[in-house]
Amino acid sequence: MDRMSYCNDLIARLEELFFHELSECAAWKTEFIGIDFIQSRDIEGNNRDDVIRNCIRAMTAAGLIEEGSFAVAGKDILLRLKIKGCIHMGKEVRLKERGIKVYNCIIANMINDQLIEKLNYETTYVASIDADEKRGLCEIKVAIYETIDKIGCVSDWSEECRQIDKNNEWQTIRAER
Amino acid sequence: MDDILEVISGRKSIRRFRPDPVPEEMIDKVLEAARWAPTGENYQPWRFVVVRNQETRNKIGDLAKMGSGSRMTAWYCLGHMQERFEAIEDPDKRAKVLRFMYSGEVSEFAKTVPVVIAVLGDLRLGSVDVPYDLSAAVENMLLEAHSLGLGGCWVHGPVASSRDAVKFKKILNIPTAMSDYKVIAYVAIGWALEKRKYPRPKIPLEELVYWEEFGKTTRPEPTLDDVVYYEAFGKKEKE
Repeated sequence: MDRMSYCNDLIARLEELFFHELSECAAWKTEFIGIDFIQSRDIEGNNRDDVIRNCIRAMTAAGLIEEGSFAVAGKDILLRLKIKGCIHMGKEVRLKERGIKVYNCIIANMINDQLIEKLNYETTYVASIDADEKRGLCEIKVAIYETIDKIGCVSDWSEECRQIDKNNEWQTIRAER
Repeated sequence: MDDILEVISGRKSIRRFRPDPVPEEMIDKVLEAARWAPTGENYQPWRFVVVRNQETRNKIGDLAKMGSGSRMTAWYCLGHMQERFEAIEDPDKRAKVLRFMYSGEVSEFAKTVPVVIAVLGDLRLGSVDVPYDLSAAVENMLLEAHSLGLGGCWVHGPVASSRDAVKFKKILNIPTAMSDYKVIAYVAIGWALEKRKYPRPKIPLEELVYWEEFGKTTRPEPTLDDVVYYEAFGKKEKE
């Protein structure tokens, strides 16, 4: 067993226990997991896209992910992320094997933290995580709220996602080889 | 001893309040009820912050609105909220209810309720039951408030996420270290503006209760052999 598998096994056990204690609310209690790394990286950026891009760059440079893509739509509330080659996929697989819906994306936590810390975003919420171990890809939908006025600005995210894919609005950052 | 089932089953969560102040002695009684809640090894880890200041309640209301609204906006955008409320047939009424939810207004009432009582647990005492003890205290508070003719609501929203919990603590000057105090909720107390009705439909007991082991839905009937002795107490054999 390599060191990352060992760590993922530990995190998966903790998340399993946490879910057992808190049910679906566990997701709301884990948003600080991962922030220590990203806060140590001195992420720069004066706007949303710069901050997100620089977070992904820091993660690819550190080998946490191989590739990260993002797109923002839905009145600037829907942040879509596609993460390839995440070192934490192993813990998501363990959770799925135990019948627990994946609920804590460490990568999304880092990006959300920097939107809040660097750009004073009011709040964020990880709305869905789809971890596909066969393709080595996670797709995450995050609600990001720059101001309190953004609360309640709704749209149909299925349609928003269709448009993002149709118009290829993705911005992709890959690890340098 | 009086059966309090009527108080228990007559209570409902109240979110709309008259602005009239709640008498001090009523607040004291609600707090006193909390103090008598069951607590593991009598640790009594609960602490309470009673808030009546309008400015502070506004901050709590905004935080609660943001907590609920941020989640429900996303759930609506994903289509989950619409599924939850599809039982409301009138489309206008359904849209109104949904907007009330995803806008976060549903949780904003700290601004209008006269009394907010934050319920927090001291994590440094050694108790292994803090969240459970505090939950029992909250229930006692709600029942006492209801029995006094007041309305109340148990509100978890503004402390549900870890980041919001820190913000909530800062509003009330509660130490923010995770090792010190955990805020589990606040209880809103005031005079109900909503018409008091009996609670929403509840799942019948038959669907909730198993007998003797999980999955067994039939209540076992005692047989004669279980209850009858012959000639002397405890003697099961007929002579």
